[in-house]
Amino acid sequence: MRILVAMSGGVDSSVVAALLKEQGHEVIGVTMKLWEGPNGEMPESGCCTASDSEDARKVASKLDIPYYVLDYTESFSKNVVDNFTQMYAQGLTPNPCVECNRSVKFDHFIGQAKKLNCDKVATGHYAKIIKKNNEFELHKADYLDKDQSYVLHMLKSSDLENISFPLGEISKPDVRQIAARIGLKTAFKKDSQDICFVGKKDYRSFVEKRIDLTSPGKIFDIEGNKVGDHNGIHEFTVGQRKGLPGGYGTPRYVTKINVQNKNVTIGEKKDLLVSSFIVEELSCVNDLEYKNLTIQTRYNSEDLHCKIKKLSDTKVLVQLKEPAFGVAPGQFGVIYNGTKVVCGGRISPKVLENIG
Amino acid sequence: MKNQDYLYLDHAASTPMRKSAMDKYIEAESYGYANSSGGHKLSRNSKNLLEDSREKIAELLNAAQGEIVFTSGGTEADNWTIKSLFNSERPNDNLVTSNIEHEAVIASAEWVSSNGYRTKYAKSDKNGLVTKDEFLGQVDNDTKVASLMWGNNETGIIQPIKDIAREIKTINPSTLFHSDVVQGIISDNIDFHKNGIESAAVSAHKIGGPKGVGAMFINSNHKLPSFLHGGKQELERRAGTVDVPGIAAFATALEEQQSRFDEEVGLMKNERAIFEEKLKNSLDIEILGDSMNRLPHISNVQFKDLHSEVLLIQLDLNGLGVSRGSACASGAQKPSHVLEAMNINPKFINSHLRFSFGWTTQVGDGNKAAEIVMQAVKEIE
Repeated sequence: MRILVAMSGGVDSSVVAALLKEQGHEVIGVTMKLWEGPNGEMPESGCCTASDSEDARKVASKLDIPYYVLDYTESFSKNVVDNFTQMYAQGLTPNPCVECNRSVKFDHFIGQAKKLNCDKVATGHYAKIIKKNNEFELHKADYLDKDQSYVLHMLKSSDLENISFPLGEISKPDVRQIAARIGLKTAFKKDSQDICFVGKKDYRSFVEKRIDLTSPGKIFDIEGNKVGDHNGIHEFTVGQRKGLPGGYGTPRYVTKINVQNKNVTIGEKKDLLVSSFIVEELSCVNDLEYKNLTIQTRYNSEDLHCKIKKLSDTKVLVQLKEPAFGVAPGQFGVIYNGTKVVCGGRISPKVLENIG
Repeated sequence: MKNQDYLYLDHAASTPMRKSAMDKYIEAESYGYANSSGGHKLSRNSKNLLEDSREKIAELLNAAQGEIVFTSGGTEADNWTIKSLFNSERPNDNLVTSNIEHEAVIASAEWVSSNGYRTKYAKSDKNGLVTKDEFLGQVDNDTKVASLMWGNNETGIIQPIKDIAREIKTINPSTLFHSDVVQGIISDNIDFHKNGIESAAVSAHKIGGPKGVGAMFINSNHKLPSFLHGGKQELERRAGTVDVPGIAAFATALEEQQSRFDEEVGLMKNERAIFEEKLKNSLDIEILGDSMNRLPHISNVQFKDLHSEVLLIQLDLNGLGVSRGSACASGAQKPSHVLEAMNINPKFINSHLRFSFGWTTQVGDGNKAAEIVMQAVKEIE
């Protein structure tokens, strides 16, 4: 097969390229250039730095495969960075990696691969694709510590048909070992944790540089008493503990952010418990299912037992079996049946109406 | 795929070194390896080789020996002329250049501007031409340096240098007129004095010489302040140990290029014509500047609805190396400022590829290239 491999310069995608080549496939390596500074310079840190594409190039050269850098900056800037800043400005908690996968990476990448007569694209994500009857299902990786099915939930059966995730059955330590065995320079490279376009900088200062966020408002306690003022709702996310008025004896958390009137409500930890919420912009891998479901409300978070009720083609109501903390509007809720991804979408700000 | 099976049509970016130049390089490095500034016999060998090379290059370019200063390439020469004449004693001095220059000139102009001097950009028309009136319209009493390239590196379109040089002195006799002739020299006859060019950037590796070597032509009526500070090399104009073997190889390459000029350029012209004709007859494409006076080695093709990023890859996989705009640090290639300056329909701005022929071009290359392009287009459609 001719396979187009997305190579970030990290150890995972390097090993993917190496494994596929070892299996006898015709491998073409590609680095997607996602982000650059205003003058075209590369960021200093994060996953898209000049040294990362340099690492990818070196791996490709070692494997003796053709290698290219493709420009995705325009789409990334529009779909991911602008969306990120706008969501923060609204007091929501964005997940740029999911946004990037769903509106930048895969569509375009698969399209380019088809044009280049590639049979499949491959990435270094930890997830599994299982063919059942004529459907392609998305499953959690065997190595659950690194499972990335959450950030891939938007892929549909028709996409999965064109994708290969060769690391679905391999553990991270094994990946590093394979890399070392074949002498890849990236074998012991640190995993990237930062948001790729923010890097090591504080994301708030990144957002503040981009849009005017001054939207002063008031802070209330859960009973509706005014307890302070603030300079902008971007300074808060639901669940936040830092920088709030004190003197209560027990810690206070942001429990609610009202985008319309800019009011922020704070309460105790128990006030953050959520038992039901809406997931919108829903995308299903295969047909929607209703039995034996669990949900992750953040990347690689605990699986919470739940039931869902379909509200429309793109919206479901999620009812948790046990109320849970950490349901943040703006993040994605991804629903599983066992290891199988059923569907996922954005947690609606309306979640806040259901507190308590 | 071996290099010899691969059709290389990216000569505007760089060319293979001529055998004669490579031989000369090795010979010179064995004979003239000493520092040409030293006081012993081996240094004299080296110094002699350097000055013989300068003499040869000066003669081939119809310049005086004192008018040739060796540099690390075209970029350095552009930087030197454009930046070095601006100083704080004359804060009102301005720079005139165009919006289709090579990055070496554009970025130098931005540096001048960031230091508080006025920088004016003459605009290209939709045909890729900076007209005489447009360029001279920007020049005034305070214009210290004016810079316009001979032929554009992406389109090959030749600019009206001679006409501008002839009149620029009537507007401001003290304006220094610089031209980046890095592409021009590949396939055009350029006499600096006859054309009124007072400063020029030349690069060795575009004509079959080594990379990292170039020459700056500077008319003897002008003196530029030193750009690199240090030792007293190059008549105290450019510090740093001189790359004598590189320069000797450059002289040899230029000599061979000039002696075979008609034959080599004739071939580029023919093969390009065959290539363009064949593409026009079989694909929905447009040749940029088709009816303009172009450097014979460059063909910039617009592939309409095809994204050139993918086409470039398919061509590479099929054995044809070309380029697309200018490469950035990571190797991603962006739509070019030249196409933007020409007001190319934004719909098609990512649909251009530059094919550039050169001294290694052989009979049949135009036809072969067209075949590969047609096959690649069929494959990705």
